[in-house]
Amino acid sequence: MTTLAWDQVGEHFYQTGVDRGVLYLATDGVYDSGVAWNGLTTVTDAPTGAEATAFYADNIKYLSLMSIEEWKGTIEAFTYPDEFCECDGSAQPETGVYVGQQPRRMFGFSWRTRLGNDTEGEELGYKIHMVWGAKASPSEKAYATISDSPEPLNFSWEAWTIPVGFDPDGDYADLKPTSYLCIDSTKVASADLAELEDFLYGTISVDPALPTPDEVLAVFAGALTVATPATPTYDSGTDIITIPGTTGVQYYIPGVGDVAAGAYGPIAANTYIKARPTAGYKFPDPVINAWLITFS
Amino acid sequence: MGRPRTDLQAIFETILGNTNAYYQPPPTLQMAYPCIVYDPDRMDSEFADNSPYVLTRRYLVTTITRDPDSSLPMQVASLPMCLMNRAYRANNLNHHVFILYF
Repeated sequence: MTTLAWDQVGEHFYQTGVDRGVLYLATDGVYDSGVAWNGLTTVTDAPTGAEATAFYADNIKYLSLMSIEEWKGTIEAFTYPDEFCECDGSAQPETGVYVGQQPRRMFGFSWRTRLGNDTEGEELGYKIHMVWGAKASPSEKAYATISDSPEPLNFSWEAWTIPVGFDPDGDYADLKPTSYLCIDSTKVASADLAELEDFLYGTISVDPALPTPDEVLAVFAGALTVATPATPTYDSGTDIITIPGTTGVQYYIPGVGDVAAGAYGPIAANTYIKARPTAGYKFPDPVINAWLITFS
Repeated sequence: MGRPRTDLQAIFETILGNTNAYYQPPPTLQMAYPCIVYDPDRMDSEFADNSPYVLTRRYLVTTITRDPDSSLPMQVASLPMCLMNRAYRANNLNHHVFILYF
């Protein structure tokens, strides 16, 4: 038998702070271009839904059904990356010229909060939070005069999300689609966490990218298998690109989407092809995972 | 991290039309009037990313004039992020103290 004890030494846990914000622009569901979001002041996690609706029968409360939960949140910061303009309804047809009221691009976002306790302080660990399928709502920006003390403008954006489904044939098919995932550094293997951070924050040879929820779970399910992407080949006579069939590698064309192994084309212009590891795989470091096929 | 102090020195010298702007002058310095004396007061921080993100220095700026109707205090008061704190007279000299972020 165990007697409960409260507030033991080392168990005064708390969470604080926010940093390492990363914005990932979504292209056809692929979040392969992460940029640092500086000046992050607050991320508010404000999920909605999961509300009970009661039904009555036989003069009693017969059942209660819950609505679907949705991730919503607010991002507050002193500034925002240029890339976020597209997500905030601004187009940039010419460098430095922003046109408002344009379509809002979907994005992913990750940030980090610190975990602390009474013995280790804020060095105990951290949580990495990830959000997929987000869209920012129009937000108020109050431009105010400079007064007798400095006061930088604090921007704020509300974001809502469309959940991402899990692979129906994968290990997590029983999970419902989600927009939010969180990793606790004090509870996962540090090597696995380092793998995830390589994905999220990039390495010397691979750009920062937000893996899918399936791919994130695969990182912590076991050792990742190294897959080296083979180079696509191009036949200038037929203008056909041959996409290699490499296990653990998904080739895709930014703006077009995933491309299957085999013949692609004929192409009529220069074509940019990239590769990303599939769930359970990672690329070696360094690696070449992007190729520009020159049309000729 | 704010603009360098030398920029502020240049602004004061432009207002004065001479070099009688003294940063942390030692007590033994023989000052010429009218003049501006200024000292660091504190540094204001706005936090983001778990760190100080915007740092702005705050100075205590004192104009010292023999002429009680000198325009110097008004010129300093017109600087951005400047607020007059108090005025007093000492040793037959008019002192106007300002708080200035720069």
